[in-house]
Amino acid sequence: MLAYTAKRLLTLIPTLLAASILVFLFVHLIPGDPAAILLGDTATPEEVAQLSAEMGFDRPLHVQYFIWLGNVLQGDLGTSIFFRQPVLSVIGSGAETSILLASMTMIWIILIGLPIGILSATRQGTWIDQITSSGAMLAASIPTFWLGLYLIMIFSVTLGWFPSSGFPSLSDHGGITNLRYLLLPSLTLAAPNAALIVRLVRASMLDVSREDHVRTARAKGLHPTRVAIKHIFRNALIAVAAAFGFTFAALISEAVVTETVFSLPGIGRLVVQSILRRDYPVIQGVILVIVVLYMVVNLAVDLAYARLDPRVSLK
Amino acid sequence: MNTLIFFQTAFAGRRLATLGFLWLVMITVAALAAPLIAPFDPLEIDPVGRLAEPGWPNLFGTDHFGRDTFSRAVYGARMTVIIGTGSVAVALLAGGLIGMISAYFTRLGHFLMRCVDVLMAFPALLMALALITLLERSVFNTILVIGIVYATTTARILYGMTLKLRGEVFVDAAVCSGAGHFSILFRHILPNLVSPLLVQASFIFAFAQLQAAALDFLGLGLPPEVPSWGNMLSEERIYVTRAPWLLIYPGMLIVLSVFSMNLVGDALRDSIDPRFKDDIAGV
Amino acid sequence: MKLKIWMKSALAVGALMTLTSGAYADGMLRYATVGEPPSLDQQVVTSDLATTIAHHMFEGLYTFNASNAPVPLLASGETVSADGKTIVIALREGVKFHNGQAMTSADVLASLQRWGEFGSRGSLIFDHVDSVEASGDYEITINLKEPFGPWKNLMAFINGGPAIYPASVMEGATKEPISPDQYIGTGPYKFNEWEANRYVELVRFDGYISPEGAADGYGGERATNFDTLRFIPVSDVGTRVAGVRAGDYDYAESIPGDLFADLDADTGVKTMLNGGPIFGLVFLNSSDGPLKENFALRRAIQTAIDKTPALQVSIGPEGLWRANGSFAPEGSVWATKAGTENYSRGDAEAAKAMAAEAGYDGQPIKFMVSTNYPFHYDSAIVYTKQLAQAGFNIDLQVYDWATLIEKRAQPDQWDLFFTHHGFVPDPILISVMNDNYPGWWATPEKKALKDRFTASSDPSERQEIWAELQALIYEQVPTMKTGDVYTYNIASPKLKGLGKQTLIWPSFWNVSK
Repeated sequence: MLAYTAKRLLTLIPTLLAASILVFLFVHLIPGDPAAILLGDTATPEEVAQLSAEMGFDRPLHVQYFIWLGNVLQGDLGTSIFFRQPVLSVIGSGAETSILLASMTMIWIILIGLPIGILSATRQGTWIDQITSSGAMLAASIPTFWLGLYLIMIFSVTLGWFPSSGFPSLSDHGGITNLRYLLLPSLTLAAPNAALIVRLVRASMLDVSREDHVRTARAKGLHPTRVAIKHIFRNALIAVAAAFGFTFAALISEAVVTETVFSLPGIGRLVVQSILRRDYPVIQGVILVIVVLYMVVNLAVDLAYARLDPRVSLK
Repeated sequence: MNTLIFFQTAFAGRRLATLGFLWLVMITVAALAAPLIAPFDPLEIDPVGRLAEPGWPNLFGTDHFGRDTFSRAVYGARMTVIIGTGSVAVALLAGGLIGMISAYFTRLGHFLMRCVDVLMAFPALLMALALITLLERSVFNTILVIGIVYATTTARILYGMTLKLRGEVFVDAAVCSGAGHFSILFRHILPNLVSPLLVQASFIFAFAQLQAAALDFLGLGLPPEVPSWGNMLSEERIYVTRAPWLLIYPGMLIVLSVFSMNLVGDALRDSIDPRFKDDIAGV
Repeated sequence: MKLKIWMKSALAVGALMTLTSGAYADGMLRYATVGEPPSLDQQVVTSDLATTIAHHMFEGLYTFNASNAPVPLLASGETVSADGKTIVIALREGVKFHNGQAMTSADVLASLQRWGEFGSRGSLIFDHVDSVEASGDYEITINLKEPFGPWKNLMAFINGGPAIYPASVMEGATKEPISPDQYIGTGPYKFNEWEANRYVELVRFDGYISPEGAADGYGGERATNFDTLRFIPVSDVGTRVAGVRAGDYDYAESIPGDLFADLDADTGVKTMLNGGPIFGLVFLNSSDGPLKENFALRRAIQTAIDKTPALQVSIGPEGLWRANGSFAPEGSVWATKAGTENYSRGDAEAAKAMAAEAGYDGQPIKFMVSTNYPFHYDSAIVYTKQLAQAGFNIDLQVYDWATLIEKRAQPDQWDLFFTHHGFVPDPILISVMNDNYPGWWATPEKKALKDRFTASSDPSERQEIWAELQALIYEQVPTMKTGDVYTYNIASPKLKGLGKQTLIWPSFWNVSK
C-alpha cells in the first residue's frame, strides 16, 4: 500500500509539470494586451509598450514561464494585473463562495439524489422506477441558466422568499444566515447533478444486487428493506462515494454559468472575468489550482479503491 | 440489417424513448428542410414589428430585432444537428483513435493515456472558454472545443473496451492468420465496438447541446448572428418578463431535444453487449 | 430515523434563513454595477464606472452645477488676468484629506503636475500651459502660453480629470494608476476595501467639510447620510433588474430601454433618466486601409446608413433615443445643425453611385464590434445590412471588448469600429478631437479649426467655430454619430433625495434610505 501510494505520488509530478506548461501556454496565446486594457481609451501605443515592459510581458515566453514556475513552487502565484492584489488572495475570496456553493449543492444531491436512486433501484421495473428514472433524465436535460432565470423570477422577484443574487461573505453582516443567498444557486446546480447521482445509485445497486452475497442474504429470508440497505446500498456506496468526489471537484469549476446568472463571486466567474480582462496571472493561478484539486481527488479516489480492493495495487 | 434489429430490440416496449426518437427525426427534417418550413428569413430585421406576441403570422412571436422567432427556431434545429454531429465526429474520431491505439500498442498507449489524464484534469468548461478566446467565435471552433472536451472521455472509454477485446480468442485467431495491426484494429476489433460507440455518440450529442448553450450564454459560443437556440436564449434573456415567449420556446426546444437524445441513448445502452454497459456513463 | 432528524434540522435552517433577510442596516447603499472598474485613479482612468464610484472620494478644484456650468469645489474662486493668460485660483481653507492632513497648494500643485503630464485629459490643458506654481499656501497660479477658453470645464470634469491627491501620493506617480492603498482624497466618503469580484466599499469620512451653499448639481452642500456605499459587480443585466425588484440592491445602472415601460409602471422600482445622453460612434480609419484619405468613399458610407432603424432595434421606446446629428444634445449651448443634413440619409442608390465615383471596387471593409455592449452589436447588424444593400462588402468582426481595444490600436487591423461616448460638457472632450484616438484623424483642416477653437475664450465665438468643426466632421467623416441615447438607471423607491435626473454620474451624498 505504501509503495503504491509513493508510486502514484511520483507519477503526479510529470503530470503536474505538463499541466503547468499547458496552462501557461494557453493563457499567453490569448490575444489582447493587459497593459492596453489597464490604460484604457486614450493611451498611446508607446505608453502601452512601456507598461507592458514594466509588467515583464516583453520577455521571451520560456523565460516568463520559468520565472512563473519558480514563484509557484515557492507558493507565490503572482499578482493580479487588474486588482493589484496577490493572486492567492483573489482566489481565496472566490474559493469561499465556490466551496460553500459546492457543499450546499452536495447536500441537495445527497438529500434528493440518494433516496430517489435507492427507491428507483429497489422498485426496479415498476412505474415508480420509470417515473424517477425519466424524471432524473429530464432534470439533466435543462440548461442551468434557463432554470436559474426562472427560479429567480419565481422565488425572488414574485414571492420574495430568497435573495436573487450575490453572496456576501460569511464574515460579512448576517454571518451564517448569508447562506440563504446560496439556496437558489445550489438548487439550480443540484438539478442536473442530482439526476446523475440518481442514475448512478440505481445502476450500482442493481449491479451489487446480482452478486452472490446478496442472493445468500435473500435466501436466508432477511427482510427486503434490510437487504437493500445493509447488503446492497453499503456496497454500492463505494462507487457512489467516488462519484461524489469527482462531482465536488467538478462543481467548483463548472459552476461558471450558475455563478453568472446569480452574480456570485465564485471561482468560475473569476476566470471568465479574468479572461475578458486578460488578467493572465489570475487565469493561470485558478486553472492550476483546479487542476491540482482534480488530481488530488483522483489520487484520493484511487487510493481508497486500492485499500478496499487489494487487486488494484497489483496492476 | 444488424443495426436495424439492434434498434428494434432497443425501442421495443419503450414508449417514451420511441417518442424521443420521433422528435429527433422531426428535428432532423426541420434541419434539412429549414428553408422550406420557415415562413420568414431568420435574419430579416423589422424595426416596426419587433417584440410581437405569438400569433399569426409569427407563430412564436418576434424578437427585439423584429425577426420571426419560429423561423429562427427552425434554423436553430439546423445548428443543433450541426453542433451535435460535429462534436460527436470530433470526439469519436480523435478520442476513438487515441483510445484504440493506446490499448493496442501498450508502450505508446501508456504515454498517450497519461496525456489524456492531464487533459482530463482540466476543467472542461473553463478550458473551452480559454480556447474560444484564443480561436475566436465560429461554428467550427465551437464544435472543435466541445469535441475536444468529449474526446478525452471517449478515449478513456474506448481504451477500456479495446483492452477487454484484445484478450479475446478472435483477436488471437486474426493474429495467427497473419493479419496486420491495421486490419486487426479496424476489421476485427472495431466492428464489435459499433453499438457501444453509437450509445456514446448519443450521449455526447445530448451534452454537446447543453455545453453549446452554456457557451452561447457566456457570450463565447457561436457567433451571435447565427440563429441557434442557445443564442436565442442568450440574446433575449433580458425579456424574461417583457416578452416571455422569447425564452420559453427556445428553452423548451433545448430541453426536449436533449431529453430525447438521452432517452434514445439510454434505450440503446440497455441493449448492447453487457460487457461494455458500465463503461459508458451518460445520464 | 437519523435521516428524518437531519432533514428536519435542514428545514429549520432553511426557515431561519428566509426569515432573517434584511440583515443590512439602512446605513448601507447597495449599488449594482455593470462590472469592476480598472482602477479608481481619476486622473488616468476614463471609465464612467470608475467615476461613479470615485467621485464620492476624490474631488477636483471645480465641479458642475445642475446646468452643467463649472462651479468651485476645492477652489473658492479665481481671478483671470485681462489678457486671459494668468489664472490665479484661491483654495478653500480647512479642507482635510482622508489621512487627516490638511490640503494646501503643495498638494494641488503636485496633483496638477502629475495630471498634466500623465493624466488622460491632462494634455488638453497642459499643451497650452507655460507653468503652474503655488503662489501661496492656499493659492495656485496657472500661466498659459495663450488664452485657453475651456480650462474651467476641463478642470471640473473629474473623469480622467484633475482629482486632488496628497503630494505624498503624487510623488513618483506616472501613467500607471495609483494603487488602492493610495486612494486618499478629500471627498465625503473614503476608501475602505476592494474585495476582488465582490464589491468596492466606501465609508463616510467623518472629517469632511462640505462646500457652502445649497446643493445644485454636484455643487454646493454634500451631506453624508449613508455610513457605507457598496458597489457590487452584477454583470448580468437581468440579474441587476431582478435584484432591485427583489430588494437586494438599492440602485442598478445601465438598464435596457425595452424594459423602461414595464419598470416605469412598476411601483416597486423607480426609474432614473440620465441627463446627458450618450451617443454611439462608428470610427473610420484615417491612418490605413481603403478609407485612408478617401473622403469621398467615407461620405458614400455615411450616405448609405439610416440611423433610425438601428436606434429602434437597439434601444426600443421612442422616448429614450433621438436621431440627432448634432454632437451636442438638444438644449445644449453647443447644439448645432451644421452638416447634419448628411447625418442619416439612408440612400442606398446615391451611396452606390458615390462609392463608384470614389473608386470603390468591392474590397472588403472590416467592421469591428463588441457584444459586451448589446446596443453596439444590434446597431452594427442593422448598418451592415444597409451597407450591403448599397453594395459595400462589409466584413463584420465580432469580438469581446478587450480584443476590440487591442485591435483598434493597430491601424492595419480595421476600417470601422463601433464604440460609444459619454456626455461631455465641452466638445473639446469628445474623443474624435484627440489626434491620438484610434482613427487618428489629424488633417490640416481639423488642426486649423481646433487651434482657433481652443484659443478663443469668447463663448459665442467658440460656438461658431464648433459648428464649423462639426460640419468638417460630416465632410471628412472621421467618425459617424449614431444618435443620442438616453440611458437610465433604476432605484429602490425607498431612496430619498435622488434628483429627477442623474447629471452625469449618479451621486449619493444628500441621499438617504
